[in-house]
Amino acid sequence: MNATRSLAQELQEIDSVISKYKGKHGELLGILEESQLLNEHKFLSEEALNHVALKTGVPLSRVYNVVTFYSFFNLKPQGKHTITVCRGTACHTKGSRTLLGDLGLILNCKKELDEGEPFFTTPDNQFTVTTVACFGQCALAPVIAIDGIIYSNVTTSKLQMLVRRISKVRRIHEHH
Amino acid sequence: MNTTTMVNIKINGNDHQAPLNATILEACKRGGINIPTLCFMEDVSKNASCAVCVVEVKGAKSLLRSCTACVYDGMEIVTNSPRIRDARKTSVELLLANHPKDCLSCLRNQNCELQSLASDLGVKEERYVRTKKMEKCDTSSIAIHRDPNKCILCGRCISVCQNVQTVSAIGLSGRGIKSRISTYMEKGLGNVACTYCGQCALVCPTGAIVERDDTDSVFEEMSNPEKYVIVQTAPAVRVGIGEAMGMEPGSLVTGQMVAGLRKLGFKKVFDTQFTADLTILEEGYELIDRIRNNGKLPMITSCSPGWIKFAEHFFPDLLGHLSSCKSPQQMFGAVAKTYYAAKMEIDPRKIVVVSVMPCTAKKYEARRPEMRGAFDFWKDKRAWSSEDAFYDVDYVLTTRELARMFRETGIKFSSLPVEDFDHPLGASTGAAVIFGATGGVMEAALRTAYEVITGNPLADINFTAVRGMEGIKEAEVEMNGLKVKVAAAHTLKNARTLMEQIEKGESPYAFIEVMTCPGGCLGGGGQPIPTTWEIRKKRAESIYAEDANKPLRKSHENPAVQTLYTEFLKEPLGEMSHHLLHTRYRERGVFTWKTNENDPSMEKNNSFAAH
Repeated sequence: MNATRSLAQELQEIDSVISKYKGKHGELLGILEESQLLNEHKFLSEEALNHVALKTGVPLSRVYNVVTFYSFFNLKPQGKHTITVCRGTACHTKGSRTLLGDLGLILNCKKELDEGEPFFTTPDNQFTVTTVACFGQCALAPVIAIDGIIYSNVTTSKLQMLVRRISKVRRIHEHH
Repeated sequence: MNTTTMVNIKINGNDHQAPLNATILEACKRGGINIPTLCFMEDVSKNASCAVCVVEVKGAKSLLRSCTACVYDGMEIVTNSPRIRDARKTSVELLLANHPKDCLSCLRNQNCELQSLASDLGVKEERYVRTKKMEKCDTSSIAIHRDPNKCILCGRCISVCQNVQTVSAIGLSGRGIKSRISTYMEKGLGNVACTYCGQCALVCPTGAIVERDDTDSVFEEMSNPEKYVIVQTAPAVRVGIGEAMGMEPGSLVTGQMVAGLRKLGFKKVFDTQFTADLTILEEGYELIDRIRNNGKLPMITSCSPGWIKFAEHFFPDLLGHLSSCKSPQQMFGAVAKTYYAAKMEIDPRKIVVVSVMPCTAKKYEARRPEMRGAFDFWKDKRAWSSEDAFYDVDYVLTTRELARMFRETGIKFSSLPVEDFDHPLGASTGAAVIFGATGGVMEAALRTAYEVITGNPLADINFTAVRGMEGIKEAEVEMNGLKVKVAAAHTLKNARTLMEQIEKGESPYAFIEVMTCPGGCLGGGGQPIPTTWEIRKKRAESIYAEDANKPLRKSHENPAVQTLYTEFLKEPLGEMSHHLLHTRYRERGVFTWKTNENDPSMEKNNSFAAH
């Protein structure tokens, strides 16, 4: 485990990101993107956003506008593993809504899903579940991605198995 | 000579000419053809978000939004066809799907653009179901309330906040169905760097952004026999309230307003203009003091509470430039609960001061923790505890709220008699009237400063250089060989320009007037809706007409103010003034949710107040 960096350290690193982008076109997007990656939990904390606004002179409401518009930005800490459920039309007809519900049950986060929030992170920060509009793998529907690796023809039992495997912190390589 | 290139176009089969690069909407307006709009607002926004102003253009693949599409030579436009009517109606019906159907209990009932558009376009049924979740209202601010459910995402509030005021307290967040108007991290207007200027409420087409309504509390106070409820009215209200009661824009109704306020049940009807004259004396002497004693210059006026909050948020290092004078509203409260209370032998704890203002920020100003000058004055004399504490001004109503109270009590405005203000806090000069227009405080101050410094009467008291709707106005006045350069700015964008000049050390001015709202207080966030440039100009005409009609037009000639000094205050900038009429500011910065409003360490004393 990495030692947790202090907030001051993180803000200092953001400062160097800001100076790198200074005067460049689309400066704010670049700064926010790199700042998020700097964070241990891959998210932009309020302190980080405050800092970016203060140092760049961009109004706070504008910063908020940008980070809430792009789904890439996270305002909450992200889990160690990201599970992305495809919610495109093909996956939907093949039952991806059920898979999302299953994840809620498997990861004990049913409450968040019932509240209509399709993004959640488990309290132990192990998993973040998100959705995507389409992976472009419609022939293999329903598909999910775990940490960037796409799994096809996913069923409830397959999902359970995948999650259990990761929970045991074992790297999974599976090819279809 | 008009040098713009004109192009020939056809509108509904008729030949028209329009300037090249004019929008279709502008071209049609020129040709006398009306196109319904919703999100569009002249000089404020053209976001093309509502799709109500669509027209057909020959050769175009789809209907075009006339607010943004520009004309070209030979363009053939149709503004009325079954297809257009259907599209416009559908756009409004889609907006109505997510709009609550609580018109009857909405503050904007009968003054709502969405409501009238639905009626105009012949919407007869609810064809679409609601798709959005109900959201919580933002009631965190003392001045302005937001109901996101009523919002149609036209974006006018954002445009006015970002472009006219350069405050950016609100912005768009999310996307798609989750798009909404938000404050930073959903903290609420009361917790971010919002100036409470209320321009967002003034431009909102629906009831999504409104003033906090205090009419019920005022009615309740008036029905309490223990309380002595008095009212003060700002200069700009007399040119706005008639309009809010259905009269012509700019109607000057001072006398009827006074009669109406008496009918409502106020014990005394006083005038904020009395303390506007008082402000001129205090501020005029402060300016002279700063010029003579190498004080911080330029000195900037402090009557406009939105501007004060703006300076505290965005220019905390320059607060020393602000005049330490309280605004006329606050001076009134302090004088009413000390001088007037003593003179009339009324327990100041029983006096309720109600202000009628063209302003939403005044609601906030009245609740600034330091605005308890009268209580501090009495507490030792009467051995009162903190439980007896009261504010100098108890309630602030906007022009719109007063109109609501008039209507609720069945007061018919046009048939009211003309009555005079009560004495002594109702006497005022023409210099005080013009406080309601941009440049007015400057002009009033110059009238007095000139005569005090030179000892000679002014040949012409009309300083026309600081009048009018230009964003920043300049003038140079020579007094006894001393050349003084002054400027008057309205809107916070223009104020920002002057502040950045000061920041760089390049400000050529000795004295600057800032009014937060476009056109000054007459275009304030609490004024009747709509407020357009045309209407602002009409209100300004009435203000200057009232000034010209006043027998006395210089603040220092106000006999009631002179009496106030002899009987009570003694002299401008004296000990008593220091305690009652002057104030201090706070270095707020923009991360306001982290700071405590009552924290004295944030206070910044100005040169005079620090004596």
